[in-house]
Amino acid sequence: MRFDSAVADRVTAFVLFALGAAMTWGGFVMDRLEVRQIHPASIPGLVPMILGVAMMLCAVLLTLNADKIERTELETGSWSSFAFSALWSCFFAIVLVSRIPFAAATAIYVAGFAGWFLLPDTPAANRWKKALLILGFGVITAIAVSTLFRYGFLVRLP
Amino acid sequence: MEALHQFGLALGALLTPTSVFHVAWATLLGIFVGSLPGLTATMGVALLTTLTYTMERDAAILVLICMYVGAIYGGSRSAILLNIPGTPASAATSLDGFPLAQRGEAGYAMGLATAGSAFGTLVGILLLVMLAPPLAAIAFDFGSFEFFWLAVFGIVISGQLTGGVTPLKGYIAGLLGLMVAMIGSEGIHAHVRFNLGMDPLNGGIGLIPAMVGAFGFAEVLTVMYRRKAELAEKKADRVLPKLVDLFKYKFTILRSGVIGTLVGIIPGVGEDIGAWASYAAARRTSREKDRFGNGSKEGLTAAETGNSAVVPGALIPALTLAVPGSAPAAVLIAALFLHGIRPGPMIMIEQPTFIYSVAAMLVLATLAILIYGLSLTRLFILVLRIPRELLMPVVFTLCVIGPYALTQRVFDIWVMVVFGLIGFVLRQMNYPMAPLVLGIILGALLDKSLRRGLTLTDGDLTPFFTRPISALFVVIIVLSIVAGLKPVRQAFARLGRSDGERTDV
Repeated sequence: MRFDSAVADRVTAFVLFALGAAMTWGGFVMDRLEVRQIHPASIPGLVPMILGVAMMLCAVLLTLNADKIERTELETGSWSSFAFSALWSCFFAIVLVSRIPFAAATAIYVAGFAGWFLLPDTPAANRWKKALLILGFGVITAIAVSTLFRYGFLVRLP
Repeated sequence: MEALHQFGLALGALLTPTSVFHVAWATLLGIFVGSLPGLTATMGVALLTTLTYTMERDAAILVLICMYVGAIYGGSRSAILLNIPGTPASAATSLDGFPLAQRGEAGYAMGLATAGSAFGTLVGILLLVMLAPPLAAIAFDFGSFEFFWLAVFGIVISGQLTGGVTPLKGYIAGLLGLMVAMIGSEGIHAHVRFNLGMDPLNGGIGLIPAMVGAFGFAEVLTVMYRRKAELAEKKADRVLPKLVDLFKYKFTILRSGVIGTLVGIIPGVGEDIGAWASYAAARRTSREKDRFGNGSKEGLTAAETGNSAVVPGALIPALTLAVPGSAPAAVLIAALFLHGIRPGPMIMIEQPTFIYSVAAMLVLATLAILIYGLSLTRLFILVLRIPRELLMPVVFTLCVIGPYALTQRVFDIWVMVVFGLIGFVLRQMNYPMAPLVLGIILGALLDKSLRRGLTLTDGDLTPFFTRPISALFVVIIVLSIVAGLKPVRQAFARLGRSDGERTDV
């Protein structure tokens, strides 16, 4: 997948144009508060309309210049590592947190994250030992973070 | 003289065991954060803001400033040892720092970076004390018209200078930030805009969750996406810089300090540009141009002095105009509001000694980086060996609980996640983050100033262009945009080349 390319810029330009158009329209149809007899130049939709038009203009320029923009050398990386990190982190933040106690969610997340990356590279003979160490790390992190915020900063944990 | 007196009083007031303890741990934590690739100064300051919420005001600001100074300095560690800048501010450092490390001079490179950072911050502090009070006085003449153009200027110049190969992407990032700022209750009639039917959006998008997402979660994803780096450290060498080297580069240090501070004053530009500008200036005037990029000690000193000088520089507009000079300064502004300090032109009236207190805090942080930098080299190398697979989930856990701790709303965790994912995609597409952040900060100012100005003039736009300071802003903005056009940039590049050829002859 290549994010920094002419095609990607054109697709982005299309999305940005739509966003700009939506904001312009949103600003145009926004309540002008005539009931409150405000000055017509201070209507709440004024700046959103201007920003929307500016964004549409930039989107058009991006489309026109997509082929001319110099591309820097891309940093190579692992999309599978990214995908797991993103999905597991989102699962923790959106699903686990606020559904189960924060400390338990943190322990599961940290141990799961570290285990996913570290266990496959470990020789089979040492795998159980390493899994226990990672689990211990997850539990200690969970206890430390929860204690710090609960008792140190008096936060009612989610 | 009065400034010096006030500064002395502020420094004296800070020299308590509690303050020294805060300086010690916060700067050390900052250096760790900065030295670990993936943990940036902005992220460090944003996360620490959530932890200082319950602290006493001055202690909280001291801790955040120490984190900021420490993190910017700490970035040089991984730039020198891993060839990966710990923070974007240290990108120029790696050009000469890593070749020095490969030659077995890692310790000396780190010592030189430490001295450069310390001197750079000190030059910046001097300029902060000298420039901030008069700038605050000038800002008294600012009305809605000037504040509107100041906001536009911030977005344009930040987009221009951080946009990389094309300013267009910088402008788009700035516009996206301004659009985000349009969400929620607006500042004149309290009318709720673009809340998409969600009540938690009535108050707008919180700056801290957005920043933690864009700089924290996005960094976690970027680090896990990248290949693992290898340490270049070979053997122990001397760390303490030779005085003769520092004396040899005295003009480079002074020039880089001034350049860094001036870059810091420009809204939303930040430490990386300060480092590159100082590096370029040093290369242009150096007698050893060919060594730059191959382990030049002068290049390393210039880059580190430049990026560190941006820190006090960025605080000048942050304190006097409430317009951040860099992304971490943007978080600092949010933290100041949280702790009851209102940055802006009124600061010299409401808190006349606060600027001197900030300067004193910066001096203590500088002393701390000097001590740690020259004495704990081995420890920092150990820190760089922590596996990212263990570090990153801990960082993300803090990204989740940090924004939640401020408002106790699960919604802010979702905001953080959304901004993290968007931030990652935008980075991969070469969109700079600084204008986005600046847009979120300046959106309300731009919106209110334009509508207030138009109300005052009954819809007449003329004063926006005819008042002296407004006219000056308009000229600078137009020139900046014209300078960003490709034909103009190419013409400047040709001019620079021919100039260089003449100099070489």
